[in-house]
Amino acid sequence: MATHPVKKSAAPAKAAKPKSAALRKPATARPSRATDTKKKARPKVDPVAVELVRNSLVAATEEMKSVLMRTSYNMIIYEALDFTVGLFDAQGQTMSIGLGLPMFIRGMSDVVKAKLEHWGEKDIHPGDILLTNDSYLTGAHLNHLTFSMPVFHKGKIVAFSTCMAHWQDIGGILNGFTTDIYSEGLQIPLVKYHVRGKLNTELRDLILMNVRRPDRAEGDLEAQLSACRMGVKHVEELMTRHGAETVTAAMDEIMNHSEAEARAKVRLIPDGVYEAESWMDDDAIDIGEPVPIRVKVTVKGDEMTVDLSSMSPQVKGFFNSCAGVACAQVAFKCLTLPRDNPINDGNFRPLKVIIPQGTVVSATRPAPMRVWMTYPMTVVDTIFKALAPAIPDLVIAGHHADLLTANVNGIHPADGKLFMYLGGLIGGGWGAKSDEDGVNVTVCMNDGDTHNGPSEQVENKFPLLVKHYTMRTDSGGAGQFRGGLGAETELLALSRVNFLTRSDRVVNTPWGLNGGQSAMGNQIGLRKKDGTRSFFPNGKVNLRLDTGESYILRSGGGGGFGEVKKRKRESVLRDLRLGYISRQAAERDYGIILSAAELAALPAQGAEG
Amino acid sequence: MTPQARTRIAADIGGTFTDVAAFDEKRGVLMLGKTLTTHHRLISGILDGMRKAGVTIEEANLFLHGSTIAINTMLERTGAKAALITTRGFRDIYEIGRINRPDSFNLRHRKHAPLIERDLRFEVTERLKADGSVYQELEMGEVEAIAAELERLKIEAVAVLFLHSYRNPAHEHKVRDYLRKRLPGVFISASCDLVQEYREYERTSTVVANAYIGPRVDNYLGEIEQEMKSGKFGGKFLVVQSTGGLYALNEARQDCVRMMESGPAAGVIGTQALCHVLGIDNAIAFDMGGTTAKAGVVREGTALVTGSVMIGGYLTGLPLLTPMIDIHEVGTGGGSIASVSVSGALRVGPQSAGASPGPVCYGLGGAEPTVTDANLVLGRLDPKRFLGGEMLLDKAAATAALKEKIADPLGLSVTDAALGILRIASASMSHAVKGVTTDRGLDPGAFPTLFAYGGAGPLHASMVARELRIPQVIVPRAPGHFSAFGMLLSDFRRDLVRSQFIGLNAVEMGQLETWFAELEQQGLAALTDADLGTRKIVIGRALDMRYVGQEHAVTVDMPLSAFKRGDKKALKRAFDTLHEERYGRGSPNEQAEIVSIRSTVTGVMKKPKLEKIAKGTAKPRKEALTGTRKVYFEGKGWAQAAVYQRDALLAGNVIAGPALIEEHATTTVLQPGDTLKVEPYGNLQIAIAKK
Repeated sequence: MATHPVKKSAAPAKAAKPKSAALRKPATARPSRATDTKKKARPKVDPVAVELVRNSLVAATEEMKSVLMRTSYNMIIYEALDFTVGLFDAQGQTMSIGLGLPMFIRGMSDVVKAKLEHWGEKDIHPGDILLTNDSYLTGAHLNHLTFSMPVFHKGKIVAFSTCMAHWQDIGGILNGFTTDIYSEGLQIPLVKYHVRGKLNTELRDLILMNVRRPDRAEGDLEAQLSACRMGVKHVEELMTRHGAETVTAAMDEIMNHSEAEARAKVRLIPDGVYEAESWMDDDAIDIGEPVPIRVKVTVKGDEMTVDLSSMSPQVKGFFNSCAGVACAQVAFKCLTLPRDNPINDGNFRPLKVIIPQGTVVSATRPAPMRVWMTYPMTVVDTIFKALAPAIPDLVIAGHHADLLTANVNGIHPADGKLFMYLGGLIGGGWGAKSDEDGVNVTVCMNDGDTHNGPSEQVENKFPLLVKHYTMRTDSGGAGQFRGGLGAETELLALSRVNFLTRSDRVVNTPWGLNGGQSAMGNQIGLRKKDGTRSFFPNGKVNLRLDTGESYILRSGGGGGFGEVKKRKRESVLRDLRLGYISRQAAERDYGIILSAAELAALPAQGAEG
Repeated sequence: MTPQARTRIAADIGGTFTDVAAFDEKRGVLMLGKTLTTHHRLISGILDGMRKAGVTIEEANLFLHGSTIAINTMLERTGAKAALITTRGFRDIYEIGRINRPDSFNLRHRKHAPLIERDLRFEVTERLKADGSVYQELEMGEVEAIAAELERLKIEAVAVLFLHSYRNPAHEHKVRDYLRKRLPGVFISASCDLVQEYREYERTSTVVANAYIGPRVDNYLGEIEQEMKSGKFGGKFLVVQSTGGLYALNEARQDCVRMMESGPAAGVIGTQALCHVLGIDNAIAFDMGGTTAKAGVVREGTALVTGSVMIGGYLTGLPLLTPMIDIHEVGTGGGSIASVSVSGALRVGPQSAGASPGPVCYGLGGAEPTVTDANLVLGRLDPKRFLGGEMLLDKAAATAALKEKIADPLGLSVTDAALGILRIASASMSHAVKGVTTDRGLDPGAFPTLFAYGGAGPLHASMVARELRIPQVIVPRAPGHFSAFGMLLSDFRRDLVRSQFIGLNAVEMGQLETWFAELEQQGLAALTDADLGTRKIVIGRALDMRYVGQEHAVTVDMPLSAFKRGDKKALKRAFDTLHEERYGRGSPNEQAEIVSIRSTVTGVMKKPKLEKIAKGTAKPRKEALTGTRKVYFEGKGWAQAAVYQRDALLAGNVIAGPALIEEHATTTVLQPGDTLKVEPYGNLQIAIAKK
């Protein structure tokens, strides 16, 4: 059994500036529409048609989602919803996307634009299917295969129907910690999977030879193509029904509406420059070496600029991504139009993102990307932290910001075969707000409609026994409003198993805002056969459990909001009654000492449950 | 009951109205009554409805009842002070749930709110393993201590859930029996008595919901029984389940969650029954009321059923593992509010004016224009004949609101604004229909008939059908009482399920037969206890299956003949076929495994024989035509529409659109090009114009 040692020098060292500082074009290259329309009258579009087109686009991507989820083979797609489907206009702008995971709000539009640029409109034909999994285009790991089909109307490209989904396996090393992209699996550049309706069989064979379960991969591939076809069908119907001109004009209107409403929201944010910094524990290679996350947000009038120039340079371990723009967009959407549908580019026109190449969220080849999703969650939280002084009522304190998953595998004693279990995904605490406690035990920012798995299912399938799955007393940050609680689960190995985790935010725990306290962080632990248990100082653990030993996953809570002394006594008493906090915490954090009568009224099985 | 009692009475209590449908078996006459739901004392509404229908309980040999009591108690959180007893280490399962965050960008998202808070969720030492064997013995001493605490806290209901109780109910039953003895008068519910399926969160949520609503539902049904007895009712009292099937009163008073969605389910059962009469295999049941539109599916003559549901919506609802008619709902109804957003976008819903204050035209204080206001302004509703003239509608107010709030801001005429609202509403309702078909891998095009009912269904059906390219609409008799009517046509039914994880290769057919027989024995016993004298019993079998390695299982209906022949290959074939149909591909070469076994025991009841209505000629009688009215149609503008009185139509009458068919609770709209025929049983059969 081995885990990484922790360096004692935990003081965060200033990270060097990234070498390449070439400014990337702001995400919104298009001129602002709303300001244009102030000057000249809008083109007249039937508002009923606009609403019908809007409904149809939302329904189209929902149906693409439904097709993908029903026809895919792997659970990561249909339970974890690790996919995105979308419709993009002829320039690659997002018309509507169906998530999937919130962090995929951006990547697909970039991929469609890259495809357009690569082939040019002239070299994309009816029946072509365009494919890539290039990490530095999708922004994520190699498991994300992105297929696009052009939609033609009267001989011209009017849209792209696109589907990205997570394949269970794309080759590369099975366990452990990677240090470059080559060890992470098959890389597929921009290629045509179908050329004018004809399958490129050599390409298919090449892909299937490089993955561990070609049968499953082929199933997922077909599911993705079905989803794309569904999108093509919907766009064609829309064009036939309303005419291409109306659809285009309606789409412009929809984006203008989103833009205007987003600008109105930004206008409510006081002008200013807002900065914040936070730290990741380490990159799984240089253990104990913290990684800085720095954001600078400038608000001026109805525009917001997120500058990520001072982020850590890309790291040696597999936590790199190209999700910087997505981070800014996720934060922006949360703060402006969280429920605006369809998700479209109009929403993001008031947002500019400045990000040089080579940071940990704008990585370049050959940076390893396998666990791309962890750091961006903290980037989003840090943007909220930066804006807290300006808009305390809109932001949220830090959350546990990690998936808390474990790769568990071994030989199943029942049949002598290798079993693989993606354990964990236990949810954690969310930050408190200016008027509300944080949410308990809920999946982190990267994931949306992702479900945990029933313990009864786990025990039926694997040689494991779930000892408990509980909320973690005292894990939420104290404050006028308390952070949400994290969770703890312990699984007993009924035979020998391998165990690997890639968690972060163990040392750098979720922060509070406006005087609220920080929460307990994530933790990985082990219980030996003699019953003693211990927790690792770091979240990256790679070890083997003997029969009778248990692993423990703990998720952090959410940060508190506002000063503790402002918390109402009755709220503290309620937390005590429900065992959300212990009596010690009530005294230590809130200075509340119970009367004899209050003590007697507390339930017998309080905090320790 | 008088010796000549021969009437079956169905009473359906809905949010706004209480409907009674009664069928006199001897005379073959259907009687209907509709009255406002009396929320303070629900039974008053039933009695009033019976008066309006002209029946007394004394004449009844069968009383069938569906009610919103169960779901309202849950949604309004007016249930009992309840506690949960569960396996040590798992009391938080109910609060943790499935950890998902569907409203992904909303920083103010919330989780479901448990019906039992953490301090009333107790843990005891006990543990079963996945195979049902005991890992840790049940510590009864702990249970005894908890019982004393429950007594001190004056707990009214207790839910019991232990892990893997679907494989071995012994621990749950031991605790249940002890508590029943120890805490008389307290409602005790064990999860394995309700559902024997794996998934501890959903099962906990189900048993907690049952305990939470139990005392109130039990009390309510008891009161009705008392009232019936004092009215000299001597027949059988059956309650409608969410499957549309019936169960006995004493079962309903204990297994309360099973009646959660009785009303909407009965409408789909009514559709299914009409399909049999009319020789239709595949149809959509479309039910539109004041706040929602619901769609169900009849496929190959059978209403589709699902095994789980979220009560309170997907975002923050509580799951129940209980069989239920598969219904997809959208928040579009007559009361849906139309609005223009700050940026100038036109929206319809999801806000609803409901019944109070209601649409502007009700004159009850509603100020926001709704779908109903749009219908009135476009001439589809008659201001003087709404609800049979019981309520006068204010057309001028509706027009003014539409002009001020929608038409002027958008630069549209009032009629274009109103028609736009109906078009948008129809588009979103068509998504409800698509939801219940495409999500199951069914092609909406394979369902060529739409049954439209509910107060607003017939008003919108021709637009929704056009949207979906469905060629035929059927408006049944009494579309406003259709759920109560559907109850009259239902059967006694018991749905049984048990999780049983085993590879299809490994299981012996004899073993499967034993398991099914055990389940079916429970169903048959319930039927015997109900003492209905049913002669025909139908048994249905299904298996929840998946390919080895998959997580997600699907329910596959199995032909009984396969079990008779001991033909395991037929089971695999049925699974492969369904998988292909629903998921696009089957894998005959991959191994499959069983997750759960399901059985349905149906006691077929004697059905009222539907009566044909009087025959007429193609041309309706003079007295059926009450006048003409200007109605505004898409692509046509204002047109004179003939207005007919539905009661006066005869079988064989043919009416060409544009026309309106008015009856007490609703109006059917025929668009230009549509053709209506009154079929022999009095249902309106509408051929939608081809575009």
